[in-house]
Amino acid sequence: MKILRLTTNVFKGLGKNKMRSFLMMVGVIIGIATLIVILSITQGANKKIMARINNFGPNAIMVHSGGGKMRGQIRGPSTVSMANLARKDLQNISSIEGVKIVSPFQLKMDMPIKYQSQFTTTTVMGVMPNWADAWKRGASKGDFIQTEDVELLKKVCVIGQTVKKELFPDSNPIGAELLIGKVKFRVQGILQKRGASPAGTDFDNLVIIPFSTASRRLMNQPKYIAMIRVIVDDPSHLKIISQQISQILRRNHHLASQEEDDFKLTSSTQIVKMIKSVSGTLHIFLLLIAGLSLLVGGIVIMNIMLISVSERKHEIGLRKAVGARSKDILLQFILESLVITLTGGILGFIVGILGVKIMEWVTNMPAVVSWEALALAFGFSFIVGIIFGVQPARKASRLDPVEALR
Amino acid sequence: MNKIIQAKDITQIYRKNGAVTVKALQDVSVDIEKGEFAAIMGASGSGKSTLMNILGCLARPTGGEYFLDGENVNQLSDDDLAKIRNRKIGFVFQLFHLLPRTDSLENVELPLLYSDRSDITKLAQKALEVVGLADRIHHYPAELSGGQQQRVAIARALVNNPEIILADEPTGNLDSRAGLEVISVFQQLHAEGKTVILVTHSREIAEHANRIILIKDGRITGDERAQNPLNARDELESLPEETEVAQ
Repeated sequence: MKILRLTTNVFKGLGKNKMRSFLMMVGVIIGIATLIVILSITQGANKKIMARINNFGPNAIMVHSGGGKMRGQIRGPSTVSMANLARKDLQNISSIEGVKIVSPFQLKMDMPIKYQSQFTTTTVMGVMPNWADAWKRGASKGDFIQTEDVELLKKVCVIGQTVKKELFPDSNPIGAELLIGKVKFRVQGILQKRGASPAGTDFDNLVIIPFSTASRRLMNQPKYIAMIRVIVDDPSHLKIISQQISQILRRNHHLASQEEDDFKLTSSTQIVKMIKSVSGTLHIFLLLIAGLSLLVGGIVIMNIMLISVSERKHEIGLRKAVGARSKDILLQFILESLVITLTGGILGFIVGILGVKIMEWVTNMPAVVSWEALALAFGFSFIVGIIFGVQPARKASRLDPVEALR
Repeated sequence: MNKIIQAKDITQIYRKNGAVTVKALQDVSVDIEKGEFAAIMGASGSGKSTLMNILGCLARPTGGEYFLDGENVNQLSDDDLAKIRNRKIGFVFQLFHLLPRTDSLENVELPLLYSDRSDITKLAQKALEVVGLADRIHHYPAELSGGQQQRVAIARALVNNPEIILADEPTGNLDSRAGLEVISVFQQLHAEGKTVILVTHSREIAEHANRIILIKDGRITGDERAQNPLNARDELESLPEETEVAQ
C-alpha cells in the first residue's frame, strides 16, 4: 500500500519534469533500441542460416567442378562450362563406405526459356531420377524425371514454382511445350517449393530435365559432369568422407602433390562457418555499440540524478521532516531511476521494432523479434536503473534533514 | 499536569574542522505542557533554531535528555524519530517548503504518504478547510500568495493530527497582514487544544503566545507567561482595509 503510494508519487513527480525525465531516458532508449535491432537481425540471420542448411541438407556434400577459392562466400554452383568430373569419379565415390546417394547433375544458369509470348531466364539442371532423393524434393504435381526419360534422352522437363508463375500465370503447364534455348521440352511436372538455394538464390526458379538430354542435346557436354551431390548416412561422417572424396578425385585427376585441387567440396559445416565469419564481426561491433549506449545512458541518468539530489535538497529535507525514513528516500530515488530506465526500455523496444521493420523493408534482411528480446530489454533497463540509481539514491537518503532544509 | 515536552540540560556542540567547537546550546532545560502556546524568542544565532530542531526530533542533542510525550528520544533509532515526526509533530517553516509544480492538495497529502492512513485525500481536504483554503485545493504554490502558501504549509503540518505544531519563523517571509493571518490560525489551533511552539526573533509576534521563552547565546534567559496575549484576529480587523496583494 505504502510502496504503491510512493510509486504513484514518483510517477507524478517525473511527469512534472517531462523534459528532464525524457533527457534521462534518451541513452536507455538508444541502447535498448540498438540491442533490439541487433538481436532481431541476428536471430533473423540465424533463421536464414538454419533454412539454408536445411535446404543444403545437413548430411550432404557438394562436389563442384573447378577449383579455386572463394573466401568468405558460399560457393555458387559450378556450371557445365567448367565441368571436369568424370564417370569414373562418380563410380569411385559411390563405392565409399557410408555414401548413400550419389547424384550427378549438369547445370547452366540464365538459360532463356519461352512459352508462347511469355519468356524468362532460369537455371536448368540435367539430373538423374535420384535427384529427388538427394534433395528430398520431387514433383508436387505431375511426374518427376524417370529412368526411362534419361535412357531415351527424352525432351521432358519439371518446372519450379517461380517458372510456373512466370510462364504459366493462369494456365496449367502440364503437357505444355516450352522452349529452352532453341529446344522444345514438354512439361511433365511441377517441383515442390523450396525457397532459397544453398547459395542463397531462388531455388524455385529452376527447370529440371533428364541428365542425358542436358549433356547431349542442350549443353553439349557429353563427357564430363558439372556437379555431384553426395548424401552420406550420418552427418558425423561428413569430414572423413569428404577427405576420401578429395583423395579419389586428386588421384583420378592425376594431380601432383603441389598442385591445387581442380574441384571443390562443400558441406553444411562449411556453410555455417562462412556465414558466421561474415556476420559475427558485425554483430560483435553492434553489440558493443548497444553496450556503450547503455553505459553512457546509465551515466547520464546518474549524473542528472546526482544534480537533482542537490537541487531537491529542500524536498528531501522536507520529506524527512514530515516522516520519511532514510529508506523511504532511498526507495523513492531508486524507483525514480527504475521508472526512467524501464520506461526508456519500453520506448527503446518500440523504437527498436520500428527500426527492425524499416531495415527489413529497406534491406530485405529477415529479422525476428522475439520475446527473449523484450525480456532482455527489460532486464537490461532494470539493471541499468539499479546500478546507476543506487549512488544518487544513497546520497539523497543520507542527507541530514536540518542541513537539507537550510 | 501533562508535560508533552521535557528537555533536561540539553547541550548542542558543533565541531567544525575538528578543533573549533561551537556551543549552540548549553544546559537548556524546558518543559512544555500539552495545549500550551509557547514562543521561543531570540536573536539570530541565539540557538533558537537548534532548539527547535531538537524539540522536533530533526536532530539529536550532544548532551542532556529529551522526553517527548514521556518517551526518551535519545534512545530512539533514526527510523523511530522519523515515525515520531510523522505522527506527533507538524512543522511549519519560514520558507514554506512547498513542493513546486504540486497542487495544494498533494502538498498537504505528503506526510500521509509516510503513514499508514488510507483516507489520504479526505484528510488533506479537511486540513485545507481548517486553514480556510478549501477553494484553493488545486492551485499550485506559484498561484498562491505568501500567506496562502504558509497556510497550505500549516494544513500540511496539521494533516496527520499531531500533538505539537512547531513553527520556525512562520511569518518571516510575510507582510504584516499575512503574518497576522497565519498567527490567527495558530491561535485558533491553540484554542482547539493543540500544543503550538513558535520560534521567532520578533517580540511583536511572540506576544501572541501565552508564554515566551527567551533564549540568548545558547542559554534560556527568561520565561514569561502572558495573561492577555495579543489577539491576531482583532488586530486584523483593526488594520485598514486593503485589497489583497500578490494574487
